[in-house]
Amino acid sequence: MADIAIWGVIAALGLATFATRLSFLALLGEGELPAWLRHILHYVPPAILAAIIAPQLLAGAPGLAAALDGPRTAAALAGFAVAWLTRSTFATIAAGMAVLWGLTLVQW
Amino acid sequence: MPSTDRQQAFLAGVRACIPLAPGVLLFGMVCGAAAAGAGLTAGQSFALSWMVFAGSSQIVATQLFAAGAPGWVIVLTGWIVNLRFMMYSATLAQQFRGESRRSRWLAGYLLTDQAFAVTLARVLDGRRDIPWFYLGIAAALWLYWQIASLAGIFLGARVPAALSIDFVVALTFIGVLAPLLRNRAMAAAAVSGGLTSVFLVLPLKLNLMAAALIGAAIGITLEKLWPTSRSGA
Repeated sequence: MADIAIWGVIAALGLATFATRLSFLALLGEGELPAWLRHILHYVPPAILAAIIAPQLLAGAPGLAAALDGPRTAAALAGFAVAWLTRSTFATIAAGMAVLWGLTLVQW
Repeated sequence: MPSTDRQQAFLAGVRACIPLAPGVLLFGMVCGAAAAGAGLTAGQSFALSWMVFAGSSQIVATQLFAAGAPGWVIVLTGWIVNLRFMMYSATLAQQFRGESRRSRWLAGYLLTDQAFAVTLARVLDGRRDIPWFYLGIAAALWLYWQIASLAGIFLGARVPAALSIDFVVALTFIGVLAPLLRNRAMAAAAVSGGLTSVFLVLPLKLNLMAAALIGAAIGITLEKLWPTSRSGA
C-alpha cells in the first residue's frame, strides 16, 4: 500500500474510533442504545478476540486443511487456565511464554 | 465540585491506574513492535497508537496491513472491534451530564476498556467524584500506552525471532478473552468466531469481519434459546 494510503487508513480508523467513543458523551447523556444494538456489541468482542487468537495456534495457513501447532496450542491452553484463574494479563503472558519456550527447547 | 476536590479525584484516578501498569505497558509494547514489524514507519506506528489508541483494533489493523488487505477492509474491521466503546460511552455520559464540552470530548478520546471498568466499579460503590477520577485514570493509562508503544516501535525489532515474541499478542488476547466467557452464549460466540477464522478463507481478508459477525449472530441466537445466559452489560 502506498505511504499516503496507509496514513489515510490510520486517520480514517482513528476518526471512526473517536466518533464511536464520543457518541453518547457528545449527546449530553441523552438517549440510550437500542437493545438489539447492545446485544450485537456484547457478543462482538469474544467473537473477534477468538478470531484473532485461533489462526496463531496453527502450524500452517488457515483453511480446510488447517492443523494445530503443538507447542503454541499447549501454551495457549496454559495461558487460558492462568487467565481464567488470575485475570492477570501479565501472569497469562508469563505462563504461556514459559510453556512455549520450554516445549521449543525440548524440541517438541 | 471545588477545584481541590477535582484535583484529589484526578489524582485518585492516576493512582488507581498503577496496578494496571504491567499489563498495559506490555500490551502497548507488543502493539508498537507489531506495527513496526509489519512494515509501517515509526511515525505511522505511533500514529496508530495515539489516533486509534485501542490495542485490539491496532493489532487487527496491523495484521491486515501486513496481509495486504484493501484500505476499506482495514478501516471497517478495525472499527467493528471498537464498536463496544459505544456501550461505554452511553454509560459514562450519564456521569458527565454537568461537565463542560471540553471534558466530555477529552473523556471520549481517552476511553478504554480498563479505565471504563475501574470507573464503573467506583460508580457502583456510590462515589460522586466520577468524572475527574475517570479523567485521571484514563489520562494516566494514555501516557503509559504511548510510552510503551514508542518502546515497542524502537526496541521490537531487536528481539530475536527464535523467542517467538509474536505469540505475546495471542496470549494478551487470551488474557482479555477469558474473563468475558461468563456464560454459554459468550463462549459459543468465541468458539464460532475462532472456528470461522480458521476454516473460512474469504477474499479481501474479510475473514476477521465475517468471524466477528458470525460469532455475534450465534451468541445472540443462543442467548434467546438459553434464557439463563442473559447479557449483563
